[in-house]
Amino acid sequence: MSTKLPLEGVRVADFTWVWAGPFCTLQLAHLGAEVIRVETATRPCVTRMLPPWRDGQPGINRSGYFNQYNQGKLSLALDLKQPRAVEIAKELVAKSDIVCENFAAGVMDRLGLGYETLRSIRPDIIMIALSGYGATGPEHEYVSYGPAQVPLSGLSSLTGYAGSPPMHVGISYGDPTGGLHGAFAVLAALLHRAKTGMGQYIDLSQQETSIAVLAEGTTEYDMNGTQPPRNGNRDPWMAPHGVFRCRGEQRWVAIAVRTDAEWKQLAAMIEGQANDPRFATLAGRKRHEDELEAIVTGWTVKQTREEVVAVLQQAHIPAFATYDSKDLSEDTHLNASGIFAELDHPEVGTLRHVGIPWRMQGTPCKVQRAAPCLGQHTELVMRNILGYTASQIAGLQTDGILR
Amino acid sequence: MSEQALAGIRVIECGELVAASYATKLMADLGAEVIKIEAPEGDAARRRGPYPGGVVDPEKSGLFLYLNANKLGMTLDLTRPDGQRVLADLTAEADLLVHNYRPCDMRQRGLSYEPLAEVNPRLIEVSITPFGLEGPNCDLEYTNLTLWNAGGIANLNGAGPGSDERPPLVAFGQQAEFQGGLNGAIAGMAALFARLSSDKGQHVSVSIQESLAAILELTFEYYPYMGLIASRLGQKPIQPLDFLECKDGWIFVCCVEEHQWHTLVDLMGNPEWASIELFENRLTRAQNWDALKMFMQEWAADQSVAELYHAGQARRIPLAPASSMGELFASDHLKARGFFATIEHPVAGPARMPGAPYQMTATPWALRRPAPLLGQHTAEVLSDVLRLSPPQIDTLRRQGVI
Repeated sequence: MSTKLPLEGVRVADFTWVWAGPFCTLQLAHLGAEVIRVETATRPCVTRMLPPWRDGQPGINRSGYFNQYNQGKLSLALDLKQPRAVEIAKELVAKSDIVCENFAAGVMDRLGLGYETLRSIRPDIIMIALSGYGATGPEHEYVSYGPAQVPLSGLSSLTGYAGSPPMHVGISYGDPTGGLHGAFAVLAALLHRAKTGMGQYIDLSQQETSIAVLAEGTTEYDMNGTQPPRNGNRDPWMAPHGVFRCRGEQRWVAIAVRTDAEWKQLAAMIEGQANDPRFATLAGRKRHEDELEAIVTGWTVKQTREEVVAVLQQAHIPAFATYDSKDLSEDTHLNASGIFAELDHPEVGTLRHVGIPWRMQGTPCKVQRAAPCLGQHTELVMRNILGYTASQIAGLQTDGILR
Repeated sequence: MSEQALAGIRVIECGELVAASYATKLMADLGAEVIKIEAPEGDAARRRGPYPGGVVDPEKSGLFLYLNANKLGMTLDLTRPDGQRVLADLTAEADLLVHNYRPCDMRQRGLSYEPLAEVNPRLIEVSITPFGLEGPNCDLEYTNLTLWNAGGIANLNGAGPGSDERPPLVAFGQQAEFQGGLNGAIAGMAALFARLSSDKGQHVSVSIQESLAAILELTFEYYPYMGLIASRLGQKPIQPLDFLECKDGWIFVCCVEEHQWHTLVDLMGNPEWASIELFENRLTRAQNWDALKMFMQEWAADQSVAELYHAGQARRIPLAPASSMGELFASDHLKARGFFATIEHPVAGPARMPGAPYQMTATPWALRRPAPLLGQHTAEVLSDVLRLSPPQIDTLRRQGVI
């Protein structure tokens, strides 16, 4: 039985770059949509120009960053600075269901590819713009970069060691968070279109999607006019709750003790001071948390992280090692789960990428192909989708339109 | 008001804390009818707060009120066969079932897909799990903290170079669960879309650990591409990308392109130190960031965050404030976009919360009702959806099923 993928037959004209937009269209590609990246060698995607490079050798098609977030997509090289290229982009939109872009405010309009124009070409088009600040409001033209979204949205003011400055979270978190919200909104719009025949425009602000996931921060302010203090890895309702050093070089384990009963079990394993009645209740453990953490560290530091996790999980206490990319890549559970996609790429060869984090039993999704080299599918798209002849394509190539 | 995008879709949610609750909140906010099933003692989010004045009250938990607005709420003891029968009757009338239990908890609560699908083959079940439906780790105990570490993100954050003694640092809030919820919502919508042509439901599962491994930015690929392992202890490749303390808060200084740095130097009044060779380009500024940061910090100390932010942005430098919650609520920009929404809750009173995270021109986002009180709609749902009579509902109540 041949099983259709969920978005089989849905075509996406993808004008996105960097991370947020490509992450949105990545979800659609994972679901089986035909995602066509419109990109140009005259100003390649930032992630094509960043490491990690295969074997450390830079190259526009050799970046692991780009190849991770553009799996399963096609690439059409089109220099949108040229009017003829813009006409071709419009022809693509006429044959697409979804347009996705995350340029700075106003860029698509200036290119002649604004929503009103595209809607006149394709009345039921669904268009999403993922921008830093949204398409309206006094700051909508402000410059937004991934790393700046984390502070802007408030997450940094809540994250950090106790008594220390605001911090980052380790990744440009607003980008994937915006991209996922965007994919959800597009799917909702597709369902609505299936019912009504109507397309629409979606204005997504990364600042807003990032604020949407700060629930305990925004609600505390609304209720009490205060916000949770930066408090390292601690939690108001659990103690000990932290990341503790284990035996070995930079080996750590996360432990979360949810109840007094769990603490009693852990204290029995640690022995000695841990059984001090001051620690018997959550309130007591919170009051003496520095001391408590020192006692736990004294116990973890003598063991490997694997030993700590095994003994705690045996006692039904949440614990997991702090994984890095090598740990993830070598993990037995993950290697059996289907998350990794070994993708064969024309320039970098077969390498491991992180694939699809969900399993759909009725419509199994699989990464369709490696990320494209720039312009890899130009001829294919021009010929099969847009109906150009080989000589027309050659002419456009000579004229520098398809680059 | 024009029709909402997901009007007519019925969702049964068995959510604890954040992951499933956020997935179905996204749906409810676009018009789906979400019936939230809570255990008799209530969703764990009711027991986390934050609470007004810090006084614990399960009807006033900010986390719960935010995640469950727009939903109907009922109680049901899923650990009892009678409760599982009611659940099966409800899913027979539903499009989606969304939960965030581990496989071992699913089996105990009548959440296995096959028996439910026998009754309703069009049912879509979304299982948002910590580690997936199978495999050696699938039933491990977990919290947001352990998942953030298991997914590889904690390793990337914390004190930087030279701070080997300080632990990896988790991001604030329940971010691992939010990511799981987002992925669950996407997979659930995709299954709904697939059903338009197949007319068949299916079981969909999300692994939160995998959802986090999927967002490691450029760091995961350092291993397969170059054999290198990224960590928080490495030096940033370029600078400035750091926080400076101003007289009234913190600003994040972000200069990715050289022209942004030159404009910033101009904004700083072209100090002599800025022309030192050590700070010549973004790479050398990263190598010598400790020294450069001292100079810049001294300059920033007299500045106001808001003035600097707007002055920088007026010159196209991507500066950003480390916004506090209060600053977000007071932001003219967010006000002009109408971002925060208000709803009156019968016990907690009026609450302001983040509103539409995206504006859809044809199908509105709407806050239609406050989060349910514990068991508020139990009788209503049983009567409207299952056509149970008042005596039948009384019997369930007497038996402690609801």
